[in-house]
Amino acid sequence: MALGAVVSGAVAVCGIPGQTVCAKEAPVTLRVCSWEEYIDLGEWDGEEAIELDNGAVIFGERPLYEEFEDWYRETYGREVRVEYSCFGTNEDLYNQLNMGDTYDLVCPSEYMIMKLMAEDRLVPYSDRFYDEHDGNNYYINNVSPFIQSTLESNEIGGESWSKYAAGYMWGITGVLYNPALVTEEEASTWEIFGNPKFNRQVTLKDNVRDSYFAALGILKADVLTDDAFVQSADYHERLADVMNDVSPETIRQAQDLLNELMDNVYSLETDSGKADMITGKIVANYQWSGDAVYAMDQADEEDFELRFAVPRESTNLWFDGWVMLESGIDGDADRQHAAEAFVNFLSRTDNAVRNMYYIGYTSSIAGNEQDDTIYEYLNWCYGAEDDGDTMDYPVGYFFSGDNGDEDYIVETSRSQMGRQLYSQYPPQDIMDRTAVMRYFDAEANKAINQMWINVRCFDIHDVPFGVWMALLAGLLVLVWMGYRKSKRR
Amino acid sequence: MNKFRFQRSQLCIPYGMFLVCFVLAPLIVIIYYAFTDGEGQFTLENLMGFFSSPNTIGTLAYSLGVAVATTGICLMLAYPIAYILARSSIRHRSVVLMIFVMPMWINFTLRITALKEILTMIEGNLAYHPFLNTLIGMTYDFLPFMILPIYTTLLKLDGSLLEAAADLGADAVHTFLKVTLPLSVPGIISGIVMVFLPSMTNYVVLDMLYNSTYIMGSLIGAYFSAYDWHNGSMIALILLMIILVFTLFTNRYADEDAGSSRGGVLG
Repeated sequence: MALGAVVSGAVAVCGIPGQTVCAKEAPVTLRVCSWEEYIDLGEWDGEEAIELDNGAVIFGERPLYEEFEDWYRETYGREVRVEYSCFGTNEDLYNQLNMGDTYDLVCPSEYMIMKLMAEDRLVPYSDRFYDEHDGNNYYINNVSPFIQSTLESNEIGGESWSKYAAGYMWGITGVLYNPALVTEEEASTWEIFGNPKFNRQVTLKDNVRDSYFAALGILKADVLTDDAFVQSADYHERLADVMNDVSPETIRQAQDLLNELMDNVYSLETDSGKADMITGKIVANYQWSGDAVYAMDQADEEDFELRFAVPRESTNLWFDGWVMLESGIDGDADRQHAAEAFVNFLSRTDNAVRNMYYIGYTSSIAGNEQDDTIYEYLNWCYGAEDDGDTMDYPVGYFFSGDNGDEDYIVETSRSQMGRQLYSQYPPQDIMDRTAVMRYFDAEANKAINQMWINVRCFDIHDVPFGVWMALLAGLLVLVWMGYRKSKRR
Repeated sequence: MNKFRFQRSQLCIPYGMFLVCFVLAPLIVIIYYAFTDGEGQFTLENLMGFFSSPNTIGTLAYSLGVAVATTGICLMLAYPIAYILARSSIRHRSVVLMIFVMPMWINFTLRITALKEILTMIEGNLAYHPFLNTLIGMTYDFLPFMILPIYTTLLKLDGSLLEAAADLGADAVHTFLKVTLPLSVPGIISGIVMVFLPSMTNYVVLDMLYNSTYIMGSLIGAYFSAYDWHNGSMIALILLMIILVFTLFTNRYADEDAGSSRGGVLG
């Protein structure tokens, strides 16, 4: 008994942050929470090793969060233990945080980052994290200039996102389609979901933000595709405003439109759409670029062609980023150091490739002039020998910030247009029409959530007349039976 | 030292603790959220909102529709099967019964996935008949829960009552209507309870069979994932009330009917 009390007492002392005596001996525990299947878990087969032209050999042996513990010890001479857990949706994560779960480092999507920022729940990255001279600061040295400038140019409450968030994966939204039955022209617009030609053969996404974006794309199509609008000097600001329009009038129109679309689509889905495309239940579905790549890879294995199109009106640029939580870090410098090191470790180019290979999404990491592993990985995936049927596919906008950059032009097969490379690193003309969907304030958020619930609910006015009559008849019979019974007694 | 004296009632303590932690405490939390607004102030707005919106009322109606239809279909399918099975003299009755119950051993999402493919083969495109598909899925899922209680009641039925009815000149139809059916009411009632209530909230079947319309279960989920715990809790509470009323009603009906039928036959 006495011994037990001493032991538990010692543990309790170590649990208090700032107990420097213990902190040096006991390892820092880093509580990380991210999406499911969103980090390479290693255990690759021997022949899976990726050998790149720059000599790098990439192989996943153990889960990255375990390898991080070794790397941290070797690099900083300190012990860290990672507790890695997963969340299902941004909303689940948010609810978990409100229920009192504590994490130090989480990886939500941009709008949830904005919400957490607006609620003052995030810890800004330290200046040390952004020091480009430190060779261990892989994030700032390797992050794509395109991602970094997006993070810097978006602000909430007067502070840019880049102060609080480190990009992890990113992508756009579009339409995955079966080219045997749908033309590229038909798939390159949000209106495909209302196209009667594909009645009950297209699927929308089962969440309000994606569906609302598609609805806006249809509602505002005239403006969005107007040449004067597209060529205006402040096109990007105006585009962002249009695609974040949450005025009551627009929400009301979106509700009517989505109600109409519901009568035309096959269903709403989150995950099942990819399989349903391959089995032929549907011919087009609303898809995130990363999942589109996955679906195309799967379909290729069955000799079934799928393609990805990006609507001409606008497309949603989304990303997931690592943010540190005030509730977890709680002023503990050691913990914050470990959290920042974790982000840096994942931003090392070989680890970024491992994640991309495993997850299928596009990493925010681009490498730099000395380390072209990511670019070489692109060549490894999509490069083709010049046989007369190849084309130059510039990706400079992502790697160096200049799309004319000769160093970053992938020579690829012509058939890659509308395929995997196109989905993972869309051409610059598509990136020009991307809009980031912001976090809406509480009132607007409530309004669009209610709009979505209204769309999904059965309207009592839709009960057929016959059913009302049958109900009435049934009620009358019941009353009559009750009456007879009471009389008999 | 206190002398420890074991009492039988102390056996209830583990369950009592479970009840307090996982039933009573959550219930209090639900009630708290249901009657407060975002600022923690008491409000009846959530309650009023539920009954004044055509969408939430519509969802309630749709859920009831699904539940009533599922229960009706299950009853119509299950009763004859249970009856034949209970009255038949085949030796391996338990084997036949097992065939009906066996699907329950397979995980139900797996069964619905298989059903989805079968229905696609038959209908071509599932999206044209979402309500019908839902009913088929629900029936598939809940049929054993209707068969079992009816079968058990019919099995216990005293054969001498049937003989007596025949002796007194009742034909087969009369015997069934006046003796067998009234005596099997308790089985029917417990079958209804076991099918009706879960089918009001089992939204996984709808999701998997591509019916995008919300039922009560999914509506609660939708409010919770929109961080609106207040409206979500209110709907959960209303559902709870419906279940309570329904259970009270069926209990009473079962008692009353069992009593009156006993009087009718034996008295």
